[in-house]
Amino acid sequence: MKGELYLAWRYLAYHRVKTLILTTSITLIIFLPVGLRVLVRQSQEQLTARAEATPLLVGARGSPLELVLNSLYFESDVPATMSFGEVRRIESTGYALPIPVYVRFAARGHPIVGTTLDYFDFRRLRIAEGTNLRMLGDAVLGARVAEELGVGPGESVISSPESVFDIAGTYPLSMRVVGVLEYSGSPDDEAIFVDLKTTWVIEGIVHGHQELSGSGAAGLILTSDTANVVANAAVVQYQEITADNLGSFHFHGDQSTYPITAVIAVPPDQRSESLLRGRFESPDELLQIVPPVDVMDELLETVLTVEAFVIAVVVVVGLSTLATAVLVFMLSLRLRRREIDTMRKIGAARRSIGAVMASEVAAVLVVGVALAAILTGLTSRFGSDIIRSLL
Amino acid sequence: MHRIRTVHRVITVSIAGILAACGGSEQRDPSTSENARAPETPRDATVYTVNYPLAYFAQRIGGEHITVHFPAPPEIDPAFWQPDGATVGAYQSADLVFLNGAGYAKWLDVVTLSTSRLVDTSTPFRDRFLEVEGTVTHSHGPEGDHSHEGTAFTTWLNPQLAIEHAASIEQALSARWPEHEGSFRDGMTSLEADLLALDSALVAATAAADSRPIAASHPVYQYLANRYDLNLESVQWEPDRAPSGSQWNDFQRLLSEHPATLMLWEGEPLAETSERLESLGVTVVVFDPCANIPAEGDFLSVMRQNVESLAAVLARK
Amino acid sequence: MIEVQDLDFRYAEGDFVLRVPQLAIERGSTVAMVGPSGCGKTTLLNLVAGITSPGGGVITTNDVEVTALTDQARRDFRIRNIGLVFQEFELLEYLNVLDNILLPYRINSALELASDVRDRAQRLAQDVGIADKLDRHPDKLSQGEKQRVAVCRALLTEPVLLLADEPTGNLDPGNKGRVLDILFDYAERSGATLVTVTHDLDLVDRFSRVVDFRQFHPQDA
Repeated sequence: MKGELYLAWRYLAYHRVKTLILTTSITLIIFLPVGLRVLVRQSQEQLTARAEATPLLVGARGSPLELVLNSLYFESDVPATMSFGEVRRIESTGYALPIPVYVRFAARGHPIVGTTLDYFDFRRLRIAEGTNLRMLGDAVLGARVAEELGVGPGESVISSPESVFDIAGTYPLSMRVVGVLEYSGSPDDEAIFVDLKTTWVIEGIVHGHQELSGSGAAGLILTSDTANVVANAAVVQYQEITADNLGSFHFHGDQSTYPITAVIAVPPDQRSESLLRGRFESPDELLQIVPPVDVMDELLETVLTVEAFVIAVVVVVGLSTLATAVLVFMLSLRLRRREIDTMRKIGAARRSIGAVMASEVAAVLVVGVALAAILTGLTSRFGSDIIRSLL
Repeated sequence: MHRIRTVHRVITVSIAGILAACGGSEQRDPSTSENARAPETPRDATVYTVNYPLAYFAQRIGGEHITVHFPAPPEIDPAFWQPDGATVGAYQSADLVFLNGAGYAKWLDVVTLSTSRLVDTSTPFRDRFLEVEGTVTHSHGPEGDHSHEGTAFTTWLNPQLAIEHAASIEQALSARWPEHEGSFRDGMTSLEADLLALDSALVAATAAADSRPIAASHPVYQYLANRYDLNLESVQWEPDRAPSGSQWNDFQRLLSEHPATLMLWEGEPLAETSERLESLGVTVVVFDPCANIPAEGDFLSVMRQNVESLAAVLARK
Repeated sequence: MIEVQDLDFRYAEGDFVLRVPQLAIERGSTVAMVGPSGCGKTTLLNLVAGITSPGGGVITTNDVEVTALTDQARRDFRIRNIGLVFQEFELLEYLNVLDNILLPYRINSALELASDVRDRAQRLAQDVGIADKLDRHPDKLSQGEKQRVAVCRALLTEPVLLLADEPTGNLDPGNKGRVLDILFDYAERSGATLVTVTHDLDLVDRFSRVVDFRQFHPQDA
């Protein structure tokens, strides 16, 4: 068998272009549907794991999918907001730990997630570098954000304006990076975490500005009486929170009316979860409470349908390619008739001639399958990097 | 259209999932103390407070079972203290942080603490907060919301409210460390007895006040006045600063409408201030709110001294 | 060496018939088979080599009744005993010179490719003047070089019978002589029998015997 294998190898090596094409075809025929399935399964597992790890989500009435996508995956669409006072409402029931999130703004393409320290405990996020949030204006970066932006503790990131043309809207706040999280393999790696109050600063509800008393403030006052001073638009509001101006930051209006996009509710047990859900079932209720896993299951059904369709198409294309490869092989056999004849005439055993041909086919298949296996393994390990580079 | 939007979301989220996938989450032991919040601290039962009275109450109730921290420098009024980042980090490491409520400690608005560990000890009497009169707020533009700066926060000066603060502390400690509930109860009982005795002493001392006009150097005695029906008007003077001419003029105008014969001070005023007040027929009474750690004694001893000082003057006049 | 008795061969298609009542070729002789195209010279070579089988008759080659063997047995016999040289060289394009020479040892387990075989191949290449081209592929060789490679392949197994079908048909005069020299030299040294089909009547004088195939002119079926 050694001789036949040697001859097969020589043939394949001499016709390297043809060999490469055939091997690549086999590789792709196998890898495309398998790799796709691996990617989809992994993303499905990740999405499901994320949803399963989040017991309940409370938000304004509307699309449950939008609420889940915004709160768990920080997708760009911002759902209708709810008021911060609802956090106290949930807390007062004693049925769950409420963790507010406000996901509306972004900085250099990365979502800014306004939340509390409980979020880090809940998601088991750990600090790799620096410290966690401490002061207003602090930011903790997800692992991938730090990597992509090349920013670390001691540096800063500036929030992006929501609209270039909305000059009266939110404007950039320079946030001080104090920490970088460890890689978690979740959407948290792509986010910039700030205190909830910092997102309100970005929104302009909380701000710091020059003193409105004293001799220098005369040009800043619209009207004043003994109880209240009305400032005019000339008051400069700070776009960076420093140790010097920190004390000037303050709230206007009732904090319980301030906006958030969702509350992650973490009940201690099943009974509490049921009781909490019961509290939001009134038809007059302005909020909705959703178990993310139910929403994601519905979404993933659609994903699976799409996947099945794509795989079917890929399989059909693969089979066509395989048929073409078989045709190429058969044609090449015809072209090699003379070679086969020579070997026969010299005295090659019938089985030897067959063995040479079979070895060639087997070699292409084995290498193709092996490459497909390697690619599938690499996809499993580095799929996210590949997708990112393609995007 | 909805279907298309959903498919678009499917693709986007799948990509998000893929982007987040593949790395594999590390297996973490949930029992490890290393997480995003805690620096390396000993694992005693640790509580932090935002002022000294709460620290005193917590220590009286918690006893040997807890370690109480109140890191504000002793010379600073804790209500207006701004801790630095390292100190905020220390607060983050606490098992429980006891807040005074009523807007005390403005620094809470500009720092990040875990809300699940915060205990607002004034929650039971939120509806009984008092407003500070004469505060100037500000707003932006004619339709802007006002800033809220007008809630009095020295709630512990009413021993009844101090007992409610303490009760909240006991409740939180027992919920967090139920194995020591009995001990906490004992501590609370003892503290409550002392605070009730303090209240009785103040009732007795202030009985002589009747509706006598009393002045205060600083608007920090609202809850004291409210509890004991004191006819109190405040100015905004500091013990270590001599009032200006206009301040004296304002004070005299106040006296013309509110003829106070004694004035409560947070600390001993300057001798010249005392002298001038005496010349106006106003006796200085030091009534230390004890918001921070006293140089000598403890909260109860300071309050008892306050009662003695007040009683002595009220009895005379 | 070769005995043919009452040979009757017909192709499955067409009306070609080859009848050889009797033909004997002595061991160690050099025989040129001549005749017009299509008279069955190559057919007889194939029959003697056992590449094809007759419808009737007996062919004995090197004392082995080839016609009585199975197909596989004929292949084994052929590769051990017979060296074949073709007009069209019939080298494998994807093998270099050395691998083409060694080909018989790779396509039949009846032969074992040991190190002495490789040495022999090197020596053969040296003898025929292509030792410096062992790593080249056939498309990089001249016609004469190709045929010399084919001859080395045929001689590598040290055959007792050399069957050459118009070995010089595609060569220039210089190379014709060279190739024939190699074949004759081997036959003389080893005592092997050389049977050559040729149209080149200028070369037949070198052979010890000439067999004119017109005597076996194929009859119509």
